[in-house]
Amino acid sequence: MTTPIQTSPKSARFGGGASLRKRGRDRLSTFWILYLPPLIWLGLFFLIPIVLMAAFSFRADTYGALFENWNLGLNQYATVIATGSYWRLLGVSSLMAFAVSISAVVLSYPLSYFLAFHSGKRAGLYLVLLLVPFWTSYLLRVMAWKIMLGTDGVINSLLMYVGVIKEPLEALLYNRNAVILTLIYVWIPFAALPILAALQRIEWTLFEAAADLGARPYHQFMRITLPLSLPGVFAAFFMVFIPTIGEYVTPLLVGGSRGFMYGNIIQDFFTKAANWPLGSALSMIMLAATLILVFIATRLIKLEDLLQ
Amino acid sequence: MKSKWSMLFIARGLILALGLVLSACGAAPATEAPPGELTGNLTVLDWAGYDAEDFWVDFKNTYPKVTVNFEIGESDPDIYAKMKAGDQADIFHPYTGWLQFYVDEGLVEEIDTSKLTNWDKVPDYFKKIGQIDGKQYFVPWDWGFSSILYRTDKIPDGIDSWAALMDPKYAGHISMWDDGPSAVTVSSYIHGWDETKITPDQLAQIKQEWIDQRKLNLTYWAGEPELDQAMASGDVWLAYAWQGAYATLLGQGVPVAYANPKEKRNSWVGVYGIRKGTKNYDLALKFLDQKLAVATGNNVVNQFYYGSSNQDVMNGITDTTLKEVFSLNDPNILQHTNFTPNVTAEQRDAWTKMWAEVKAAP
Repeated sequence: MTTPIQTSPKSARFGGGASLRKRGRDRLSTFWILYLPPLIWLGLFFLIPIVLMAAFSFRADTYGALFENWNLGLNQYATVIATGSYWRLLGVSSLMAFAVSISAVVLSYPLSYFLAFHSGKRAGLYLVLLLVPFWTSYLLRVMAWKIMLGTDGVINSLLMYVGVIKEPLEALLYNRNAVILTLIYVWIPFAALPILAALQRIEWTLFEAAADLGARPYHQFMRITLPLSLPGVFAAFFMVFIPTIGEYVTPLLVGGSRGFMYGNIIQDFFTKAANWPLGSALSMIMLAATLILVFIATRLIKLEDLLQ
Repeated sequence: MKSKWSMLFIARGLILALGLVLSACGAAPATEAPPGELTGNLTVLDWAGYDAEDFWVDFKNTYPKVTVNFEIGESDPDIYAKMKAGDQADIFHPYTGWLQFYVDEGLVEEIDTSKLTNWDKVPDYFKKIGQIDGKQYFVPWDWGFSSILYRTDKIPDGIDSWAALMDPKYAGHISMWDDGPSAVTVSSYIHGWDETKITPDQLAQIKQEWIDQRKLNLTYWAGEPELDQAMASGDVWLAYAWQGAYATLLGQGVPVAYANPKEKRNSWVGVYGIRKGTKNYDLALKFLDQKLAVATGNNVVNQFYYGSSNQDVMNGITDTTLKEVFSLNDPNILQHTNFTPNVTAEQRDAWTKMWAEVKAAP
């Protein structure tokens, strides 16, 4: 069942300048076929919105139609810069994001370690179990924490039943700690995936060699597993850190009146205040702050050195 | 030569044919189709819940062949932002406070009230709310109160002032609506200020008051179900609320009362507007006319506990709970309220900024 084309000699098909050009064209068209859809997607839903947002942030006021009567100005930035409480909130949000990312990474590392080295034939099943929470809506998962932490919630009821407390603890819900706790829970599966990928890439022969040379499991972990999984750990950290700075849904639901994050202020200016220019200026500042933080972090860590 | 001429003939023929087709499409029918046969498409930009058929049932029954599509806006600013961004909805549903912008920005068409058969059932004071610069731009439709809703078992002495929202006695059990302009309204009531003429000094004082209030406030509520749940569980004892929450909680057997503060309740009215430039103006008018009909109005009263601008609907209420909700036993109740005035764009921006700073404060 061989076709003439398959049996024809390679030299006949690919030899000669014309065929080479054709091959180049094929390669080029394959490139565009593969890259065009994501490029269009990124252009439409990432690049254009960001450019629009940047443009809006330089609009002086909200009066007049959306794309008419543009008075350019820096006054939105001036407003943000002059308002100390926005900067403070950006700082608080960054710290919260830092706490959430560190905790999520630390908690998901053993999970990934187990999945990579000890799950055996059931690895696929465990991976599905890890991802099961994603089958329910994000909102539902956050609401579930409201039920856990409320004054008549699961934790309070349990503690009162056991007799540890007489009155329900009111400090569980509606504050920053509740936001951090909920976010850690939400992010753990996300953080586990890049760490798992990094652990799975480690060559088994390295462990065998280490064992031959007399390294105990503790030393094997500290000298081989941990260093080689660090790129995945840092990827997980940034995957959690960057979106958490701008988080606004979780604080809205479990944060109460004192648990707001910077993202809530941005959301307010877009949806509650119809003040897109100011919201855009706040967003651009957050974008810049995030980029600077990530830049500093990558400078401090130097991933290339870790890989060597 | 010959072929060139024949081409011209064909082209002329095509243009003629096209013109005939176009004019046939554009020509108005000599007599309008009967309501049952009228076809068309309408798009309504409305709040979640109002898209249910119960709230436009008269139109559905009268014009069964017209397709009505709904887009959902989550708040007044959201609806305003959508319309400003060029949303193609034929009809939209803003509330008092947010009406002037639509006229200023040329987003709303004047209402030809002569075509509304139910217009005479709307009292004049409601009609006035839909008038801006002497023209009827909006059809008033639903209305209600804002006041303090409280748990009678937790606060047996009752609430007689808006200042209760800032009373340290209730620390940790207060819930304010997450809305800057409403915070300005409440403070204005407490101080006896004219909320349409708030000075920068007064706004600074209002901001500080609400920053202080935050220590007492458990959570700012965004949607009514959230408030219902927090009050039913006993976490929240008193809250800024609409009467929809009051009626819902009464229905659940939660001991609640709706305050009549000495500074008076606030009241608001929802209106419908027709987008300027819509091709479905006549159909949109028919929709709004049927919105004012009795069956639709009854559903709003019975299901959402909001008032109808159709006086026949309100006069027909016999249910004692509903009478209490609307304070219909008090014939002067609407004089005992403060209607939400229209705010200017400058006030809107200043007040929403103030509220963001309250929420961002340490």
